[in-house]
Amino acid sequence: MNAEKSTMQIFKFDAIVIGGGIAGLQSSLDLADQGFKVAVVERDATIGGKMIRLSKVFPTLDCSSCITTPKMAAAAHHENITIFTFCELESIERNTDNHFVVRITQKPRYVDQDKCIGCRKCEYVCPIYLPDSEQGGFSARKAIYVPFSNAVPQIALRDPENCLLCGKCEKVCPTRAVDFFQEPEEFIVESRAAILATGFEMMPLEKNVQYGSGQIPDVITALQMERLLAPHGPYNRVLRPSDGMEPESVAFIQCAGSRDKSLGLSYCSRVCCMYSIKQAMLLSGALPLADITVYYMDIRAYGKGYEQFFQNSAAMGVQFVKGKVAFLNGSDGGKVKLRYESQEKDGGVQTAEHDLVVLSLGLLPGWNPDGKCGVSPASDGFISTVLPKSAPALTDMEGLFVAGAASGPKDIVDTIVEAGAAAMEASNYLGRTGRS
Amino acid sequence: MKRVTKVVSSDSRVGVYICHCGGNISDHVDVNAVCEKISNLDGVRTAKTNSFMCSDPGQEMIIEDLRSGEIDRVVVASCAPSLHEATFRNALSRAGVNPYLYEHANIREQVSWVHHGEAATLKAERLIAAAVAKARLLKPLDPIRIEAKRHATIIGGGIAGLKAAKDLSSRGIEVVLIEKSPFLGGWTAMLDTLAPTGEKAADLVSSLAREVLEHPLVTIHSCSQVTGFEGSVGSFRLEVQKGPSDSGVPPVKDRGIFIPFRGYLPEEDEQPCKAFVVETGVIVIATGFKPYHPKNGEYGFAEFEEVVTLPRFIRMLAERDAGEGPLSIGGKEIKNIAMIHCVGSRHIPGIHEEDESGKLNEHCSRNCCSATLHAARLVRDRFPGTHVFEFYRDIRTYGRFQEDLYSKASESNVIFLRFEPESPPVVSRNPRADGSSLKVAVNDTLTFGERVEVPADLVVLSVGMQPSDVSDLIEMMKLPVGADGFLQEIHPKLRPVELSVAGIVLAGTCQAPMDTGEASAAGSAAAVKASAILAKGYVELDPFIAEVDLEKCRGNGECVKACLRQGALYLKDFDLHGEKVRKAQVDPVLCTGCGACVAVCPENAVDIRGWTISQYEAMVEAIARES
Amino acid sequence: MLATQKAGKILILATESCAYPGANAVGQAHSSYPENVFILRTRAPVLFPERFYIECFEKGISGIIIMSCGVECPYHGAYEVLARRIDRVFEMMRKRGLDPTRLRLTAICTVCTRAFLKEVQQMNEIVTKLGPPAAERTDTPPAEAS
Ligand SMILES: Cc1cc2nc3c(=O)[nH]c(=O)nc-3n(C[C@H](O)[C@H](O)[C@H](O)COP(=O)(O)OP(=O)(O)OC[C@H]3O[C@@H](n4cnc5c(N)ncnc54)[C@H](O)[C@@H]3O)c2cc1C
Ligand SMILES: Cc1cc2nc3c(=O)[nH]c(=O)nc-3n(C[C@H](O)[C@H](O)[C@H](O)COP(=O)(O)OP(=O)(O)OC[C@H]3O[C@@H](n4cnc5c(N)ncnc54)[C@H](O)[C@@H]3O)c2cc1C
Repeated sequence: MNAEKSTMQIFKFDAIVIGGGIAGLQSSLDLADQGFKVAVVERDATIGGKMIRLSKVFPTLDCSSCITTPKMAAAAHHENITIFTFCELESIERNTDNHFVVRITQKPRYVDQDKCIGCRKCEYVCPIYLPDSEQGGFSARKAIYVPFSNAVPQIALRDPENCLLCGKCEKVCPTRAVDFFQEPEEFIVESRAAILATGFEMMPLEKNVQYGSGQIPDVITALQMERLLAPHGPYNRVLRPSDGMEPESVAFIQCAGSRDKSLGLSYCSRVCCMYSIKQAMLLSGALPLADITVYYMDIRAYGKGYEQFFQNSAAMGVQFVKGKVAFLNGSDGGKVKLRYESQEKDGGVQTAEHDLVVLSLGLLPGWNPDGKCGVSPASDGFISTVLPKSAPALTDMEGLFVAGAASGPKDIVDTIVEAGAAAMEASNYLGRTGRS
Repeated sequence: MKRVTKVVSSDSRVGVYICHCGGNISDHVDVNAVCEKISNLDGVRTAKTNSFMCSDPGQEMIIEDLRSGEIDRVVVASCAPSLHEATFRNALSRAGVNPYLYEHANIREQVSWVHHGEAATLKAERLIAAAVAKARLLKPLDPIRIEAKRHATIIGGGIAGLKAAKDLSSRGIEVVLIEKSPFLGGWTAMLDTLAPTGEKAADLVSSLAREVLEHPLVTIHSCSQVTGFEGSVGSFRLEVQKGPSDSGVPPVKDRGIFIPFRGYLPEEDEQPCKAFVVETGVIVIATGFKPYHPKNGEYGFAEFEEVVTLPRFIRMLAERDAGEGPLSIGGKEIKNIAMIHCVGSRHIPGIHEEDESGKLNEHCSRNCCSATLHAARLVRDRFPGTHVFEFYRDIRTYGRFQEDLYSKASESNVIFLRFEPESPPVVSRNPRADGSSLKVAVNDTLTFGERVEVPADLVVLSVGMQPSDVSDLIEMMKLPVGADGFLQEIHPKLRPVELSVAGIVLAGTCQAPMDTGEASAAGSAAAVKASAILAKGYVELDPFIAEVDLEKCRGNGECVKACLRQGALYLKDFDLHGEKVRKAQVDPVLCTGCGACVAVCPENAVDIRGWTISQYEAMVEAIARES
Repeated sequence: MLATQKAGKILILATESCAYPGANAVGQAHSSYPENVFILRTRAPVLFPERFYIECFEKGISGIIIMSCGVECPYHGAYEVLARRIDRVFEMMRKRGLDPTRLRLTAICTVCTRAFLKEVQQMNEIVTKLGPPAAERTDTPPAEAS
């Protein structure tokens, strides 16, 4: 690899945006619309971030895909935007000209991006079935596959860990795009400004001992629930994964990991109250007879239209129980047992049983700059901002800005507004440092 | 026999290109047979196939046929238009042909991937025939271009407005900022230290105000209000009235000064009262909020002088000498403070009482929890002898580092009591002569509904945020307002700072409650939209708008009535052959191209460019025809 | 020949921001549906006058489904106007002896693949049962006063 370094390809842009979630897309569109040339680098095989994977979104309940795909398409077709997907960020440094030098590895898809036409013939002939993480693990995907129907770009990738190298995909591919010998390829993007839009990850359920470490059947994460509720979800309807039964009682557990130092996160994850209320409302539409209970500490419906949304859900019959859930257990009857400390009526430790339990797990930073970039994370692990009141997109590294959940959990509305702000700060920086 | 008479200019020459998509289409559709049939259609000069139309050789084929003059318009039958319509329009442009002389037939997602066998072939043929039928009727179109003056006007000089002014001027855009009051800084200037960071509001306002004042591209008009509005995106015209200053402060020279709990007073204008006109390309509305004013008797407000609002209390605390001694009111020591949350917020119909205008504030005001906790902590830090009791419904410390405020308040022994909206705390005189003059009683749900009475020397009401009164601007500019009374964006996620009036954007708390950091971000987000509009000096809009055929139009005005976008269609008097006639006209800036007008015209005189009714009719005929 | 034995043609007017991409998602999933379905892309179906629908039936189209964005319509107020217009079209259809179930107004989102298939299936059953519209019409409409 060392010998190649000198010949490594260098692409030049005005700005680079790390992360192709809704924050990164909005920032790049706002920069590109002003005439700046922008590179977007996305780790995943598709842009769109979490938002493209959601069912419907609070508080308007519009279909998430319907409002994400136009932005994905606008970025993909924009003459000033170049998107690099399935790329790993190696480092961001500044050179002597004060430009950012960003080292990136193009991970091998084992499918030639320029040849693949996204027809999925390879996918149909592939004999391997694996749990599809894009569907919460509830349905299957193949070892060579296009991530999902509205992924951008529509390009297949091969999963080398699970592929048996049977060669069927290679034979069927009409453009001869399958390439088993693809290697990772490093390249460099040089730019004068950069925006971090690396988003968040959900705390892994496996780490959550209190709630069964992922071992109790029918205890699922909120992101899995999004898939169960999506119009193009894994089942036809909302069913509980263990036995395909229609759940008659569903519990949502708030602050499962947030606002609780003992679980590692002392902060509030900010979106869980609202998405649980949203899921509860969608669920009561899908399963009108089911009992739906939200266990919470404080309902944080702070955004525009959110309180009204919360009140509507209560009026629709969603039960809200103030209490901290301490423990979950499986039971022989196929139900999940729940022990919680009630802060209502007579209080004390209470128990309840539900067919399906959805956890609002805490949100963690999507990326750690340690060893890759000189920007500092704050005590909460998210990217630190230096002027949170007057310029919330500014980091402690000159020319490097932050947008969206990368600087702390955030809903889509706040993310998009902040992404605009980051683009504005970056444009001003580009202007100050002399743009032709 | 079924030949339909065509209203087509006979000279349209269509080239049809059918994609195999490497078997994706050709495995199910007999592409060659379709090509053969299509080449016999009227108006088709050539029909060709290729394994990948989107490839360079595929596109070259089109470009060559266009350049040679054999064809003058194109149909490509391939995958979904979302994937490659833009690719092929581009190819037309490269061949020097208007890109709108193009029609797409979707025979992959809507044929070969969903149908099989002969049926798939027949359907592909019908869809292509329909595309040809439309293509024959296509006309060249040009995007609509509107000149835009590189100038922005910001209404409101709070944090959001100042931030937008700073950003836009940094982009080299001329800015006029219109502020109603004599001061800059809005409500932020009425605060002391800010939750949760603890920084001084005065520093925040002063540094931002100075930066804006010093920028050569910014002109600030304080004590000014917009009194007239006309025009559209790119060229608005505002009438502004500047009144006398009622700051009560002697005029300042140079850069101006910050006056605590008033705001930043800019340098005085020589000519105090005047009316003037501002010509501008975009308008940023940043008119902010006003705190809820409690009703007389609400939690004892205006009934007991010991009941104050949070803004008042923040000022009391700040103005209290740093010296020793306990916190006091009217010479009397304050031993106990009761702080009541959600005053004027989170109203529930049926539980809370409407105001005189029948309005409830159903929204959460977002800032008050943190601001209240912050004030409580300051009290506990500075006056350890003063106890603080907080009466709340939910503590909403949602934002970054706000939760710390909550836990630190608990650690510093602030006592929390939780109430249900149905049984709010009751403030009354304390009959006992044991000290505190007031008491606050509540059913505390944290102690399982126990009735608790708390003595209080001072009661602080955490008042919510309401939109400031901008009914004049709403009326003038036709600004949309939400059910909560705040200005309403087009779409909270797709276009969160834009209003349905093109060229007017929203910044800050005139849209919804926000804290100062969020208002700053909103100011920047509004600025970046404004900057994008003004970047090129012109605005380019889709050509797909309504078009009136003046020959057919008889000026009956049905379309104007049906128009969903006020002003997009209007009747105008023309001189036609010496005769005065009245006909419909389209404002290309306002028209969104929805077509609501098309359906109602009795003369069929209106159409949407690129999507005309006759094109649809031709397509339906082609589809209905047996092959 | 072949086509005459099958159910009549169904026209779908699909909005470019919701239903048309929704139909493509059905294609991406390779879910098949009857091939007598033809989809036309529209910006907003509020464009079409009442007579357009009647004329489609006169041209031999057996069923029409308007797949709109519903309340997510990007053109403010257009959906409501459309819904009122469709009520008038139903009225006109009844007068002409056309079964009003041949026309349906629905909302389909970009990923509403199941809803799409259900609508298509139902309309297919209707047009199969009713046969071609020409057979149904009791009399020719009173000459269009134009
Ligand atoms: C279960 C659930 C439901 C939700 N429902 C709603 C809702 O209804 N309404 C609402 O407003 N909000 C909702 N949210 C919140 C919403 O998901 C976020 O507001 C939004 O996704 C934030 O966008 P983002 O772009 O900042 O981050 P993300 O969506 O996390 O995107 C970040 C992107 O950056 C990429 N990335 C990360 N690191 C790197 C790297 N080193 N190099 C390259 N790329 C990288 C990631 O792959 C990802 O694509 C919900 C969240 C959850 C968990
Ligand atoms: C009690 C209280 C405590 C708070 N504490 C905190 C805190 O600790 N931390 C924090 O971050 N935030 C806090 N906030 C929130 C903070 O005050 C707001 O976020 C901020 O003031 C919003 O700024 P803005 O520019 O949107 O609006 P505003 O501050 O309201 O400014 C709007 C400006 O527009 C002007 N204007 C109005 N109408 C017109 C017109 N027609 N023409 C011309 N000019 C007009 C007004 O005079 C004003 O100057 C608090 C708010 C309250 C009420």
